[in-house]
Amino acid sequence: MKYCIKYLFTLGIIGCFSAGLFAQGPPITADKPIMLGGGSFTAKTLIEHRKTAIGTFKYTPLMLHYLISSNALVAVHIPRVSYELADGTSGQSLADVKILAKYQFLRIDGTGKTFRMVAKTLQTLPTGEALGVMELSSGLYQGYYGFVAGYESLKYGISFELGLNNIPEGDLDFLQHKLGFGLPLLKPQYPNRQINLFFEYTQQWLWEQKGYQLLYAQGIQYARKNITFDLAYQLPLVNDMPQNMTFNRSLFLGTRFTF
Amino acid sequence: MKTIVLFFSLLVLGSTVAFAQKSMDAFEVQVDGLGCPFCAYGLEKKFKEFKGIKDVKIDIETGDFSFQYPAEKSLSLAAVVQQVEKAGYTPMKTVISRANGLVETDAPLAAVDQGVAGVVSEKMFVAGNCEMCEARILKATSRLQGVAQAAWNSKTKILDISFDANVLDRQSISKAIAAAGHDTKDHKASGETYDGLPMCCKYERVENK
Repeated sequence: MKYCIKYLFTLGIIGCFSAGLFAQGPPITADKPIMLGGGSFTAKTLIEHRKTAIGTFKYTPLMLHYLISSNALVAVHIPRVSYELADGTSGQSLADVKILAKYQFLRIDGTGKTFRMVAKTLQTLPTGEALGVMELSSGLYQGYYGFVAGYESLKYGISFELGLNNIPEGDLDFLQHKLGFGLPLLKPQYPNRQINLFFEYTQQWLWEQKGYQLLYAQGIQYARKNITFDLAYQLPLVNDMPQNMTFNRSLFLGTRFTF
Repeated sequence: MKTIVLFFSLLVLGSTVAFAQKSMDAFEVQVDGLGCPFCAYGLEKKFKEFKGIKDVKIDIETGDFSFQYPAEKSLSLAAVVQQVEKAGYTPMKTVISRANGLVETDAPLAAVDQGVAGVVSEKMFVAGNCEMCEARILKATSRLQGVAQAAWNSKTKILDISFDANVLDRQSISKAIAAAGHDTKDHKASGETYDGLPMCCKYERVENK
């Protein structure tokens, strides 16, 4: 396992610094600040099969994003979750519904490149069962406040996110940081046809629980015209979390369609 | 008789096609911020709101965006610029070639015409390789006040440039191009700027005098 982690970490670092000659598509587990024109919709899903210390979960969200203008986005995520807990309990239900809003406050464009920053909030409604998995189904109200920055050029692309997740009930607040790199395997072309590799890191600090985890996701994406298909595998590089919150691995399978 | 009918049918069809082609305005926009093919999709999608748009072409490496639009709808330059902004990108230069032969542009280049007193044309060697280099070189020249026209050939590496000699000189042009990352015979790009160029633009450095 250690070798596997070392290998993936090294691959990620190599990916970051050899970071492609070409542009790439939207990240898989990370977020992006680029918005594709006001008045458009994106329907997407990112099915996650997650294994943790307390059981396995299959999370299936239906996400609808709407761009009000070229710099403002609202979205609703309606997920279902099915679970098998370590104590033998199993079932499926509606998970926590999420409302997302993003506002782009900085845009610096150049020929074949752009740098953008957006403010972001994600409001999690307590519609799901209390399964004890914060991002999937906690049955608790959560408010996430952060910003996403991204630089994309024909040479390389980076996405960066920093935010605070506040849970009024309990002591599960955490600070989250995401860093993603894309490595396109095909020459940029329009109409769009791409195969992209993604190297994405997620860190979470739960200061009240004295927990910390660093996750690494290796992803691949096929994109054609206005549709993408995503596949990613996420595993922990550092897993210093409370016993009942230990993350083992996740497999992501998704698609998105812009219209 | 059949031959005559066929002949006239073809004549009518041909003149209709010719008329249809002439009745389209041609638009060319230099767009900044197209960092990926998805960005280009967002741009095209936004322009599809203009019903009747045709021949949409986007070169994501250079940011060149072109299309045709029915002349009778008189799509204005301001509307095109606004639509690029609504798509979330930055319009740099727009040129409209109207079906009636008129040319409209918001580019400062058109402010000075060939033949006007003081305008001179020169040829200059500029190192570079590809279309991205071309876009960078022309962008550097277009920012200079007094430039009337500029064209760079990636094969010959020669920049043909016309400019108002009262407000600009060859040395200033050469310096501006070098600052953008391309060596000329007179000025060399800094190592840092050269290192920052994409791999496809890494030309062979020029030994200056």
